[in-house]
Amino acid sequence: MHLTGYFLQRLLRGLVTFWFAVTVTFFLVRLLPGDPVSAVASPSMTEEIRQRQLEVYGLDRPLLAQYFAYLGQLVQGNLGISFLSSQPVSKILLERLPWTLLLTGTALIVTVLLGIPLGVLAATRARGWVDQIVQVSGVIGQSLFVPSIGIFLLYTLGLLAGWFPIGGAVKSDLTGFARIASIAHHLVLPCLTLVMAQLASYVLTLRATLIEALGEEYCDLARAKGTPENKVIWKHALRNALLPTTTLIGLQIGFLVGGAVLTETIYAYPGVGRAIFEAVGQLDFPVLQGAFVLLAATVVLANLATDLAYGLLDPRVRAG
Amino acid sequence: MSASNMTPADAPAAGGLLAPADLTPGRRTWRAFSRNPLGMISAAIILLMVAVAIAAPLLAKFPSGYGRDILMPPSGAHPFGTDDLGRDVLAQVIWGTRISMIIAFASSLLAILIGVALGVLAAYARKLDGIVSTLVDVSLALPVLPLMILVAALIGPSVTTLVMVIALFSWPEVTRIVRSQALSVTRLPYVDAARTIGGSHFWIMTRHILPAVAPIIVVSVVLTASRAVLSEAGLSFLGLGDPESWSWGKILFNAQRSGALTVAWWCTLFPSLAILLLVVSATLVSIAYNDARNPKTRET
Repeated sequence: MHLTGYFLQRLLRGLVTFWFAVTVTFFLVRLLPGDPVSAVASPSMTEEIRQRQLEVYGLDRPLLAQYFAYLGQLVQGNLGISFLSSQPVSKILLERLPWTLLLTGTALIVTVLLGIPLGVLAATRARGWVDQIVQVSGVIGQSLFVPSIGIFLLYTLGLLAGWFPIGGAVKSDLTGFARIASIAHHLVLPCLTLVMAQLASYVLTLRATLIEALGEEYCDLARAKGTPENKVIWKHALRNALLPTTTLIGLQIGFLVGGAVLTETIYAYPGVGRAIFEAVGQLDFPVLQGAFVLLAATVVLANLATDLAYGLLDPRVRAG
Repeated sequence: MSASNMTPADAPAAGGLLAPADLTPGRRTWRAFSRNPLGMISAAIILLMVAVAIAAPLLAKFPSGYGRDILMPPSGAHPFGTDDLGRDVLAQVIWGTRISMIIAFASSLLAILIGVALGVLAAYARKLDGIVSTLVDVSLALPVLPLMILVAALIGPSVTTLVMVIALFSWPEVTRIVRSQALSVTRLPYVDAARTIGGSHFWIMTRHILPAVAPIIVVSVVLTASRAVLSEAGLSFLGLGDPESWSWGKILFNAQRSGALTVAWWCTLFPSLAILLLVVSATLVSIAYNDARNPKTRET
């Protein structure tokens, strides 16, 4: 019952966030200097052609009318027409979205799977040398520039060692299992780049919350009852320490998506991020705007999922 | 510990033995900070990079045009090697330090001004709190880089654009931190006292709440600036850097665009190291400053 209320509240918040993203970008695109009118119609056109161009893109109507028309189109999944390829933006981007979801999703799962044992290791050896190493690499890890990691991995593991392909997402004309293997093979380096970019935040957060949890009275009680220390860590303390980590996933997803744009650019990975890079070079504003709206929607949905997980995991939310 | 337990009357009698008791909080923080080797080294690195940024014209010629030695590995003549057009990478990194520093400094200053003003206002004027907090939450939930890309592409790449765009999307983080710190202060009795004696809202906010959040602002300046370095590098790497000037991100962009990154590791390694060095130093300085300011972690 309380969980429903909690989730409805989060849903509302997600909708407000998405509406904000859509509205801000709409007005930014219309009001900033590089406005779409000058992109689809140049002064050298005759007045007649110019007028027709503006009508085709709906740019001859008042701003507010355009805004509501845009919202209406958006609800129907229409993100406008690419200036460059004259194809619907939604078609261009939806073809690419699965690659970005595959990349970011895999990176997130690998990060959490690596982050938990590393965080436990650092917290249970607090102030020891393992902890020192984890902390120092944590500070360095949080300061890494995503393209630097990407280029480093591309050069060492991709070019020098030759273990992994350095561009694209799959070898063409493969089917069945070979295709899946090729996809996984191409995924390694971009995924590893994103894992390295965000692992430190997870390890440091888990370390701090776990150290705190291990000092709580319920852990003392478990130890007093004769529970083995391993069980105290993994069954008692970790369960509680994982809650802030769940929140961190929500906070980091925006960063993850930004990292994906940079990573896909380096590896020519055919996701939404690479589409953004290509659109920047050609000033294809509808694609840039659509890509942001699509990524914002993805982030909002992912945040809703982590909120739901948090609600299910934390009995305090369930009970209200 | 013992110094803080003493009454003021006892303190002078103790003489020079317990000198820290006579020090102002600021000097006490500095004493603790100066004893932290990691913090001092990091501060020295940042100062050195500022010096390089200022003295760039004296240290290297502005890299332009074409050179004859294309894609040369590091050597005596070119310590960082040359790029695909034969330009000296060391000179690019030196001039890049300048632009990266200017953008980081200017955009973090702007973001701090907006962020602190809104943070203090939200904590003090409870009616505005709802709007500001929602705005901050919503902005922090969105993927910032794609939004920065859109705006930077619309305005057209230049140093000013980068500063504005990075500041525009960096202040919510500052507001969030300042607001939560200022909230705990506005509930303290001395703020009520200031109001009771008839102080204006502006006077209370600037003279009583602002000083209480000042240490948080110091940390924010450093962290916001280091994040701005990363944002600038990210935007420049995607081709949104100022076409007229060099920055670390732009060196990487050139290497990516020309394909030099697959043959010449020196084109990408040195700007990457510069970014890493600056951001790590900034992080360590802010950690050391926090430790020095906190009596619990301060060793003296």
